[in-house]
Amino acid sequence: MNTVKQLFVRKKVPHINVKDNLTAYLFLAPSLIILGLFLFYPALMSLYYSLTDYYLLTPQLTEFIGLDNFKNLLSDPLMRKSLMNIFKFVILILPIQVGTALGLALLVNNQRKSTIIYKVAYFSPVVMSLAVISILWLYLLNPSSGLINEVLSNFGISAQPFLTSPTQAMYVIVVISAWQGAGNQMLIFLAGLQNIPSSIYEAARIDGAGRGRQFWNVTLPMLKPTSLMILTTTLIDAFKLIIQPMVMTQGGPLNSTMTPVYYIYRTGFTDRQLGFASAMTVLYGGLIIVFTVLQRKFVGGDTNE
Amino acid sequence: MNSNKTTRVLFHILSILLVILFIFPLIWMIVSSLKPEAEVYDNMGSLQAFLPSNHISEWFGAYESVFSRFSIFRYILNSVFYAFSVTIGSIIVNSLAGYAFAVLNFRFKKLLFGLMIGLLAIPGETILITKFVVTQKLGILDTPLAVILPLMATPLYIYMFTIFFRAISTELQESAVLDGANKFQIYWKIMLPMSKPAVATVGTLSFIMSWNDYIWPLMVLTNADRYPLQVAITNINNTEPVYINQVMAILTLSTIPLILIYVFFQKYLVQGLGASGTGEK
Amino acid sequence: MKLKKVIAVLGIFIVFLVGCGNNDDSENAANDQTISVWVHVSREEPEGQAMEESIERFNESQDDYTAEIQFIPRSGSGGGYEDVINAALTTDTLPDVLTVDGPNTAAYAQSEILQPIDQYVSDKDDVLPSIIEQGMYDDQLYSMGYSESGIGFYYNIDMLEQAGIDTDALPTVDEPWDWDEFNHMLETLHDHYKKPILDMGFDDQSEFLLYAYTPFLWSNGGEITNEEQTEAVGYFNSEESHETFSFIRQLVENDYSTISPVEYGFHTGEYALLMSGSWTMQELDEEYQDINYGIMPYPVSSNTHELVSPTGSWAYGMSGTTSNPEGAGAVIDFLTQEEQMYQVSMANSVLPARYSVAERMVEEVSEPMQLLIEQNTKTGRARPSIVNYPQVSRAFQETVTETTYYDYSPDLQEILDTKAQEIEVYLNQEN
Repeated sequence: MNTVKQLFVRKKVPHINVKDNLTAYLFLAPSLIILGLFLFYPALMSLYYSLTDYYLLTPQLTEFIGLDNFKNLLSDPLMRKSLMNIFKFVILILPIQVGTALGLALLVNNQRKSTIIYKVAYFSPVVMSLAVISILWLYLLNPSSGLINEVLSNFGISAQPFLTSPTQAMYVIVVISAWQGAGNQMLIFLAGLQNIPSSIYEAARIDGAGRGRQFWNVTLPMLKPTSLMILTTTLIDAFKLIIQPMVMTQGGPLNSTMTPVYYIYRTGFTDRQLGFASAMTVLYGGLIIVFTVLQRKFVGGDTNE
Repeated sequence: MNSNKTTRVLFHILSILLVILFIFPLIWMIVSSLKPEAEVYDNMGSLQAFLPSNHISEWFGAYESVFSRFSIFRYILNSVFYAFSVTIGSIIVNSLAGYAFAVLNFRFKKLLFGLMIGLLAIPGETILITKFVVTQKLGILDTPLAVILPLMATPLYIYMFTIFFRAISTELQESAVLDGANKFQIYWKIMLPMSKPAVATVGTLSFIMSWNDYIWPLMVLTNADRYPLQVAITNINNTEPVYINQVMAILTLSTIPLILIYVFFQKYLVQGLGASGTGEK
Repeated sequence: MKLKKVIAVLGIFIVFLVGCGNNDDSENAANDQTISVWVHVSREEPEGQAMEESIERFNESQDDYTAEIQFIPRSGSGGGYEDVINAALTTDTLPDVLTVDGPNTAAYAQSEILQPIDQYVSDKDDVLPSIIEQGMYDDQLYSMGYSESGIGFYYNIDMLEQAGIDTDALPTVDEPWDWDEFNHMLETLHDHYKKPILDMGFDDQSEFLLYAYTPFLWSNGGEITNEEQTEAVGYFNSEESHETFSFIRQLVENDYSTISPVEYGFHTGEYALLMSGSWTMQELDEEYQDINYGIMPYPVSSNTHELVSPTGSWAYGMSGTTSNPEGAGAVIDFLTQEEQMYQVSMANSVLPARYSVAERMVEEVSEPMQLLIEQNTKTGRARPSIVNYPQVSRAFQETVTETTYYDYSPDLQEILDTKAQEIEVYLNQEN
């Protein structure tokens, strides 16, 4: 205990006293305990497993093997392929999904009447089961009989293979994922918009600012912390893509929609190579964190932390 | 004036198209549950796909089958219980932490916040086994707590509360301090009521997260009487032969509560700071 | 303030529900004569109900043991249930008896999750050889299948007749068509309908592909591995294998079949032929009664004329950690005798795993089902029992997929060479 206290005292942030720390940690205690038990500790265990030959069915035989998993990982062709796939996905989905979400939020926020219909509509893909959504899209996109190809043929466009084409499948997944997930970010944007005090708009109006000016000078700057949060979490979520390819293409055709998390899941649970999968988790988790930090630096002006 | 009217009409048409673009799976799901299975596939190529069966007598066949196959009410009751518990727990636990990050000063604040963002990067699918071992060591296997507890704290929602609490005027808090309020009273009486948009958003998202959870409840529960609705859904969707109209019926039953809860929380969302005008900055 | 009221009300609601939910049912302290049984189906499915009734009959049939069944419904190909097993074995809480998917037997046996059950299962001569084969690892029986599965070629009688095919002269199990005869029918149908007429399930990128396509390979005298299961190079990339995959490729190249079939296309009259299992019969009989259908057996290699069909399903096994192997063995034996197998197979409309059950069922089922049962008992062959089966199965799936994407990978031999090497790595990988 003493050494811990010394640690606290030695650091030179004079205005935080013991009582303040205690209060703050009381507030934090429930979440720290839960996150510690169910997220942080398992993550630490993954770190440890990554250095072992953990085979899912024989945990008692697990042995420490140093960095072997990581060595094998660096020469794994499918890992490289899935990384390329996910980069393509992330770069495309980030602007599309966040842009759509912001557009929808502004639209809903400016709607005077029957907003609830709009809100339910835009949000419905989020609450819908992915099973329904993927079944329906698989139908619509079916190369032989799908409605979308029928519509395209009216415009003189020949039938497209969509999800059955190694070159098109990932783009289709981008569009469907953005469409499906935008309602989520819309909700958070809406909360951000609602959180802007109306007094600021009134002040701007008194200063003679038009709608456009209000948007640029009030809405956007006030929305900045929310936007940064949404960008960060969308980026991270995009990197963690698994369900859509799992349900719609099983990573195919020809691994063109294989993503790292799907590959990790498959290696750990289908192939039962949990040690190797943990090494992938560690490396990939690190990579996501690096990109998150880069993004926050790049978007810039983050005053929060 | 005339052009103004035209743009408004155009705007409305666009809005309606947009609504259709987003809502068509919902419509399809509901109407598909209201027709015999063969019709679902037969109608696929035409607009009839988005209309229920022509014979009203056939509308509820799928529902009758689903209700006779599963004890739906018990599953729904279980799911409602888990989801409400998670929702309330999540609002409280995450907002407490968000308050600490937004308002209070303490050691290792930056470190903890960074760590929390870092935790977002962990794919949940990969840590299932260790999570299970923890739950077993806590001795809460096969209790509702095992389902609820892990979902109560989420880095993303802590982050959201942090950001929304930061936006709340410090003057109000300072005057409360002058009135002799302690930190908890400020949190409970000022910050939470003033962050209705955040509360509503976290509430909605937590409810959905819990409602759709499948693998975890199945792992930690052994008593089938405690299974949530998702178990029945997955089952009906994976037991050959799969009847699509029954799948859609049970999915409709499962989606309606989510829409209701969303509509319910939305009421609070629009009553946020913007509308009430109490916030100053 | 209203929000807080709502929260308060909900809080009370929850306390109420927790109170209700916690009916303590922990009275049954672990009794050594209690045998716990885990099954992968839901209590509410016909199969689950049949299992529950079988367990009840077991408990009534003797006084030594009490079996308790627990339902852990799986999702998809086994997720959910298998997650629970994996979790249980890390915490040493496996039950006495559990169901396993046939191809998992080898891995579970090697990891000692299962233990041999040879001595407990009686009347093995009556069991289909494919079921025994599926349960064997290291020359011992580790799992005992309680039902079978199979695949046939569904045909739409009206569509065939419209194209001028004589439906009275279709192949039978004793006189199957070879690949050339089969192709000839496809050509006739294609000429008439001018579009793909056969759904081969190419879009099903799952275990289904190995399950349904190995019979083609076996019929042509090919193998995935050598008998010792140590080598795949020289086997999976053999000439027999090349011929088999060429046959599969030409189905797509000639536009007889398609990599992106319309879902339920056979059910709705889009395709004249469908390769599928017995579950499709239930769908057709209950929901698509307009389709007038029959089932024909697998086409056979033109070189060997040997009919081979796929088999395998879920099975019972005894956990390696059971404290009561005698009791667990008694449960497994009871559940895999004629009467219980008959009940489960009939309830679930699946194929029987014993000759005696097959004889009983043939009397009571429809003609197409009779054909599947006959094909199954006479020509069924189990999937290979390999520890790293999931990986091998996936390599096989990828082979089928790459074969059908002939634009992207035109050189068939190259595909087979690559995959043979890949499979060989999995065969010899130690876990």
